[in-house]
Amino acid sequence: MGEALTLAISAVLLAGFYAAMAYGLGLIYGVLRVVNVAHGGILMAAAYLAWQLFTRFHVDPYLSIPVALVVFFVVGAAIYRLLVRFLPRGPAGAVQSLLLLFGVWLVLRNLAYLLFTGNDQAIRTRYATSAVTILGDSYSLNRVLVFGISLVALVALHLFLTRTYWGKAIRAVAQNPESCTLVGIDVERVYVLTFGLGTALAGLAGVLASTLFGFNPTFGATELLRSFVIIVLGGLGSVVGIALGAAVLAFAEVFSIYVVPSYLTSAVGFVLLVVVLVLRPGGLLGQRVLR
Amino acid sequence: MSLATPRVRAPAWLSGRVLLAFAAVVVLLWAAPLLLPMSEYTHNIVGLTFMYMAAALAWNWLGGYVGQISFGHSAMFGVGGFVAARAMLSLGLPFWAGWLAGGLIAGAYALVWGHPTLRLRGPYFSIATIGVGEATRLVATYWSGFTGGSSGLSLPLAGGPSKFQLYWYGLYLAAGAVALSYWLRRSRVGLALLAIKEDVEAAGDLGVNAAKYQDIVLALSGTVVGVCGGFYASYQAFIDPQDMFSFDRAISFILMAVIGGLGTVLGAAMGAIVFVIIQEFLLASYSQLYLGLYGILLVLIILFEPLGLAGLLLRARRRFGWRPKPGVAAGGIGSTAAGARLPGVTAGQAAPPVEPPAQAESGPR
Repeated sequence: MGEALTLAISAVLLAGFYAAMAYGLGLIYGVLRVVNVAHGGILMAAAYLAWQLFTRFHVDPYLSIPVALVVFFVVGAAIYRLLVRFLPRGPAGAVQSLLLLFGVWLVLRNLAYLLFTGNDQAIRTRYATSAVTILGDSYSLNRVLVFGISLVALVALHLFLTRTYWGKAIRAVAQNPESCTLVGIDVERVYVLTFGLGTALAGLAGVLASTLFGFNPTFGATELLRSFVIIVLGGLGSVVGIALGAAVLAFAEVFSIYVVPSYLTSAVGFVLLVVVLVLRPGGLLGQRVLR
Repeated sequence: MSLATPRVRAPAWLSGRVLLAFAAVVVLLWAAPLLLPMSEYTHNIVGLTFMYMAAALAWNWLGGYVGQISFGHSAMFGVGGFVAARAMLSLGLPFWAGWLAGGLIAGAYALVWGHPTLRLRGPYFSIATIGVGEATRLVATYWSGFTGGSSGLSLPLAGGPSKFQLYWYGLYLAAGAVALSYWLRRSRVGLALLAIKEDVEAAGDLGVNAAKYQDIVLALSGTVVGVCGGFYASYQAFIDPQDMFSFDRAISFILMAVIGGLGTVLGAAMGAIVFVIIQEFLLASYSQLYLGLYGILLVLIILFEPLGLAGLLLRARRRFGWRPKPGVAAGGIGSTAAGARLPGVTAGQAAPPVEPPAQAESGPR
């Protein structure tokens, strides 16, 4: 029982990070109907940003979060304005945006490779090995911090989406862009904002990931898959759904060590994805629209 | 009007001219190494290009014809390669039987993961295939009893075909893939695939069993890619899971098809040629740039010419007054079944105007 409890707490901590990681992808998909395949690349780039700030300027990775948010908001807005904007919407554009953003990902990977070589990197802060005791067992301080920051980010995002004009505009556009133009919402600006925001969230997740995992230019492929599994599990776009999806994935992965060898953990998400999509195509909560 | 069954005759898509051109090209390529002074290097590279052509075409059946972009075809390539290698090493089968076994098992493997996954459309399917590729790579890397783990497998040099002979086997493979692509494109099956690509639900309403057709195409595609994997194993005489199952390999199939022209037959074949040229001549000297180069290429193609080289070719021919017959341009990236719509138009606002419409010339000035 003790072991199961430890694993459960591990899973909860992991789920917090997963939720923050998946939200950016879900937001962009919910509003633009575009799967941001470059999501994994943004995560990787943000991890490198934090690493650079840490090794060159001794900035603590957690303090580099605001920098990453701004930088990747701009990057995301640029990707939308310069590239995604020109693609047709709807099913015809789906394949095109997929391949286009995949191209962006390849470019990001190559840039990282050119700048920082293909070696594995990690951020080793002084407190990297510190631990926190929860219910009699110790967990890495970084994992607890990441969980806390993820929660704050999710709550902030939820408040933004429900309490502010632009947040409400984003949700309105997700439901019906045509009607939004009728009531005077600048839909194009909402798209830029959404893509920027979604990418900034991926940047946040990348910085958080840099404190937990080692990374190299190929980092991000399984994270993309995981994020995608989560938004599909949770129904695309609601905070509750994302949290639920993240929890299901995290628990499945953590407890899968009882069943499959640990190197297969990253395949758990895929199996879950197929099972859920076959059984419940609308996600666990059966909702697809950003509410 | 009676609904009499049509008499048996050559199918409408099989025109004599096309058949003649195809046969001529195959014969020329077959005889080329015997007639032309070809260096061993060129000879081998052309042989490898044939294999890439076949693989790109096979990927294109699913990615281009049905519009299901697979990031997981490296799985079948690897399975085909390792089954073929094992069949030759442990069972002592001749190489062709090994390739065949590799292809069949790869095709069956494709069905196993594809049958549930192909219910998903578009990006859903694509991202699921990332999982397939990753999971397969992991299993293959750790299953060292079968794949040799990270140290890989070396094939016996004796008994197999030499690299020199592989040229012709590659040619047969590519020719077979072209013929199959052509058939798939123009036959009833091809129409069904196009219908599924345009609108699964509408296709279902018209009696097209989307699940069945997609399964068939994926199994076929997996089989051919598996045979390509076997060919590659014989060609390299050494294979390891990290290379065979790598994400880069999965990407290479996509790149070839997209560079050449998604959903076209000649395009995917041309894409393989371009891919190998880039790989061998440009990237030999700038090996750190290859991902970025392909990424930029992908972005440019999608923004400006979603039909790739085939689209450029169409554009060039149209400039010289040639009008595509309906159906010629069909099957592009954002196609319409009518095919009369110009490929450039479907690219959205970004695509530069294909050319001034013909009416402009006849209209009052």
